[in-house]
Amino acid sequence: MTEQTETISASECLIRMYDEQHEIEDYQKGVPRWCSGCGDNSILTAVQRLCRDEGLLPEKTVFVSGIGCSSRLPHYMNTYGFHGIHGRALPVAEGVKLARPDLTVFVNTGDGDCCSIGAAHWIHAIRYNMDMTMMLHDNQIYGLTKMQASPTSPLGLKSNTTPHGTYLEALNPLTVTLGVSNVSFVAQVVDWIPEVMYQVLSQAYHHKGFSFVRIIQRCTEWLPKLLDPWLHDRQRVLLLHHENGLEISPALAKSYTKMREHDPSNMNEAREIASAFDPIPVGILYRNDDVPCYEDLRHDSRLRTNSLIQKGLESEFDKFTIWADGNEPA
Amino acid sequence: MEKQLQHQIAFYLTGRIDKSTLEPVDGRLRPALLSRYADLDSLRYDFPLVLNRLGAPGRAVLSLSRMVDHAVAELGENVDHERVARHGYRIEHALRKALAGGAEDFAALWERTTAALEREDEALHDSAKRLWKAFQASGELVDAGAALPAKAVRHAWSAVQTAKAAAFRYRAERLLLKLKNILAAEEIGSTVGRTPERLQAGVGSSFAGAFDFDAMSRILVAAKPAVELSDERRRRIGNLIGVLERQKFYALETDGAEPYDFAFERCADALDAYRSRHAEAVELVKTLAVAELEAKGEYREAVHDMIFDGFGANGLDAGELAELPDYLVCVDGQTLDAAELARIVELLAAGLPVKILVRTDDVLEPAFVAEGHVTFGLRARQLVNTAIGLHDVFVFQAAASHLFKKKDALMRGLAYHGPALFSVFSGANAHTGQIPAYLVAAAAMESRVFPALVYDPSAGADWASRLDITDNPHPDDDWAVHSFSYEDENLQSQTETIAFTLADFMAMDERFFKNFAVVPKADWSASLIPVAEAFQIESKGLPEKVPAVLLVDDEFRLQRAILSSRAFFEVQRCRSMWHSLQELGGIHNSHAERLLAQERKARAAAAAVETPALPTAGAVEPAAPPDAPASAAAEAAHGDEPYIESERCSSCNECVQLNGEMFAYNENQQAYLKNPDAGTFRQLVEAAEGCQVSVIHPGKPRNPKEPGLEDLLKRAAAFN
Ligand SMILES: Cc1ncc(C[n+]2csc(CCOP(=O)(O)OP(=O)(O)O)c2C)c(N)n1
Ligand code: SF4
Ligand code: SF4
Ligand SMILES: [Mg+2]
Repeated sequence: MTEQTETISASECLIRMYDEQHEIEDYQKGVPRWCSGCGDNSILTAVQRLCRDEGLLPEKTVFVSGIGCSSRLPHYMNTYGFHGIHGRALPVAEGVKLARPDLTVFVNTGDGDCCSIGAAHWIHAIRYNMDMTMMLHDNQIYGLTKMQASPTSPLGLKSNTTPHGTYLEALNPLTVTLGVSNVSFVAQVVDWIPEVMYQVLSQAYHHKGFSFVRIIQRCTEWLPKLLDPWLHDRQRVLLLHHENGLEISPALAKSYTKMREHDPSNMNEAREIASAFDPIPVGILYRNDDVPCYEDLRHDSRLRTNSLIQKGLESEFDKFTIWADGNEPA
Repeated sequence: MEKQLQHQIAFYLTGRIDKSTLEPVDGRLRPALLSRYADLDSLRYDFPLVLNRLGAPGRAVLSLSRMVDHAVAELGENVDHERVARHGYRIEHALRKALAGGAEDFAALWERTTAALEREDEALHDSAKRLWKAFQASGELVDAGAALPAKAVRHAWSAVQTAKAAAFRYRAERLLLKLKNILAAEEIGSTVGRTPERLQAGVGSSFAGAFDFDAMSRILVAAKPAVELSDERRRRIGNLIGVLERQKFYALETDGAEPYDFAFERCADALDAYRSRHAEAVELVKTLAVAELEAKGEYREAVHDMIFDGFGANGLDAGELAELPDYLVCVDGQTLDAAELARIVELLAAGLPVKILVRTDDVLEPAFVAEGHVTFGLRARQLVNTAIGLHDVFVFQAAASHLFKKKDALMRGLAYHGPALFSVFSGANAHTGQIPAYLVAAAAMESRVFPALVYDPSAGADWASRLDITDNPHPDDDWAVHSFSYEDENLQSQTETIAFTLADFMAMDERFFKNFAVVPKADWSASLIPVAEAFQIESKGLPEKVPAVLLVDDEFRLQRAILSSRAFFEVQRCRSMWHSLQELGGIHNSHAERLLAQERKARAAAAAVETPALPTAGAVEPAAPPDAPASAAAEAAHGDEPYIESERCSSCNECVQLNGEMFAYNENQQAYLKNPDAGTFRQLVEAAEGCQVSVIHPGKPRNPKEPGLEDLLKRAAAFN
């Protein structure tokens, strides 16, 4: 009977046995309004599968987003969601996590939402390293507002705001992220290899800390041909694999034969890989499990009782109080 | 044979002393190996202990000398370093002397001792202040003695219980807060919570005049329907709150009720208390589990009612019991009667969360039935053996002198989820004269009469991982061996290696003086052999050699004393008991040794026969070639049939929107060919063309009469 502690009690055992089994439908809500063929669809499918396979409780899961086609994702999840304001998905998500560390937090954002208007929040979110998974739906365009160049648009791309083509080299979200202190998880996937996307998102979810996943996503409406060369030539995708990273299934290894072994703890190599775009490196570039999370550093173990809250408020108010006789009563 | 040797052999055989050639042993003699500890107070060693009340359980038992060392080390390379260290050692020495085997409040004794020393040396004041600040400790200072085992174990137990209580309190208060918030939320959202009075109370007095609370109440009541808990849930939550607030296992901050006591002097009392509290214990553990579910909003009546109705019917398991305090029973091994002994075994066997300390003061107690036979702490030994046999009892045995060194194992036993037995030899008895209890305890372990052991069922499934006897000195050998240096009559330094055996231990005890006889120096000869070498003494015929121990007198003169065969017999018994403990602890295991001998014999025999060379790595069969590519196999398998590589589908909706009967999503939200006959070949081809990841393969048309097939077949070819 005393076959020590790690074993769970009989009642705990029963409770787990009767835990609800979830189906993918339990996480679906509404019909996505994305254009058909849009890469956002496959991202949605991957996260719904992840939620089901991890048995996440819908009421304990939050998807936070900003504004854009990509940011519509929370609408299609039957969990809690917060469709925020442009560029501010991360601060909202950080607030949620700080107040409710028991919730599982996902962030969905676009290249405009994150790398343009929200760039400042992005940098600090990496440094805070709060436990959440961020998906950057990078279609290299402002999709929702009908085709304006974004910071990740390739040099020379003609768009409504750059009729003569863009003048600047594209921003590389991977090298930016890898350059910020406290970075703890960086990965890249493409929307058209579902198996890899699922695996990477799963590892990102299990990583304790801020997991940054850049998803190269096709906007079939505005840039229907942009990624075709990579989509149709499997040699232009480089699979990163390692025992501490992605494990490649035999079936996948047959379709995608271009591979490179890469240890995610090697930052220098991660930066080198991140700098290249052709072939597109896909997999886990960097992982460090030892970076502390902000919510843990700032965790206050005191119970938020009414009296504690009242005491805190009083002491704050007291700072601005003008006492009748000029002195604070003893 | 010389007359002297005759008398020596006669003494060995009969115990009768011939006063003309032999002298009796008395209290002025001590084992030679103990001579260096003659003035124990002047030595630095890990006693006395501080039973510290500050900090985590890991700091519950501290050693004074270590504390001084740490405090001095913390000063670092400092101008005052040397002075503080010197004063530290001086205070330590004075404290040890003042305590003299007793116990006193650390702070009070420190105060008194340093005040006295300061009178001689003013600078000591500052050193004492710094040291005290670095200690961060408060509690009792205790020396080895009869009281030490109970004090130390009880203190360590209470440190573990305090930590448990803090964890419980946090958990219970968190649950209470959550449960009360659920009830409060219902009330706030109800019609009652939205009456004008309540709304006004929420705004406070300053702006009360600015609002029309009647109107506000009307609007709010109408605007949002009240959220109501089911009666069942409200009642359940109320009950949970009640149980948590009324429970008496731990003190809650807000609760005035005096919690139960868990420390007992007799097993019967502990057992009675356990039995009478059992129902409440079950209820509390159940309440915690249900409250966790309620607080998370995860209690589902359809499932959980059934689970919790039968809760605790099979008793509580170790993990559940571990949430509640452990019972502590401290008993005196010497006065244990048969009934109490039986009850201890009963408690241990039942797997109850009880920690039992059995203190032994005398391990050489004479046997009640046979003259000259010693019991070796019979009752404690019996308990230890039985407890180990029970399989899931944590067993700890140590001499009191060893308690500091073994404190981690002690804490582990106290934190163990299940019963634990602690057998401790205090070293304090009336038969060892002026020798301090610390030395007697240490000598008992050294001589193997009271070996150290830890049996930890949580460490693994087999003896090798569970039983640890490596804390005994020289655990691989029969005896602990030490080198001993002295000066001979020519003032030449001599060194001898001597084993400390039970005989040496007996020589410290007045009840056994009669078993020893001092041989005058003039009669020392090769016939006097060390006890450890005496096991081959001829037992059939007349012995020619006599075992002797090395003693020193109060003037530090070396003496040799022979022992009687009666005493030597006890030494042999002690050694065999140690051997069987060694075997259990994995040292000189007789089964293993026998196997090894057989194996060696077999190998030697095999080597004699010519054997063919072993196959080398190169001769190993090559691995089977990898399977043919899956997709090629799949293509072959599908032949002319249409199909979709579902794992590669990127869920873009394209095909399912084209024809939802023909294409559908599987349980992973990836497309598969639901029914190829639910549409035309044209649709299949168009879907293949529209599929961005090209995972739709249209195959050959199923209806040969479909119009435009020629063109469609051409287009399909790119995807097959
Ligand atoms: C403060 C603010 N500025 C501008 C806009 C207009 N706006 C809406 S979406 C968007 C860009 C979205 O691009 P991206 O984040 O890449 O999302 P996508 O639609 O490509 O997924 C902009 C500029 C806005 N909604 N709010
Ligand atoms: S506009 Fe582009 S990104 Fe937006 S839904 Fe359509 S295809 Fe997707
Ligand atoms: S068109 Fe292709 S990618 Fe899209 S849902 Fe159908 S099979 Fe999947
Ligand atoms: Mg975009």
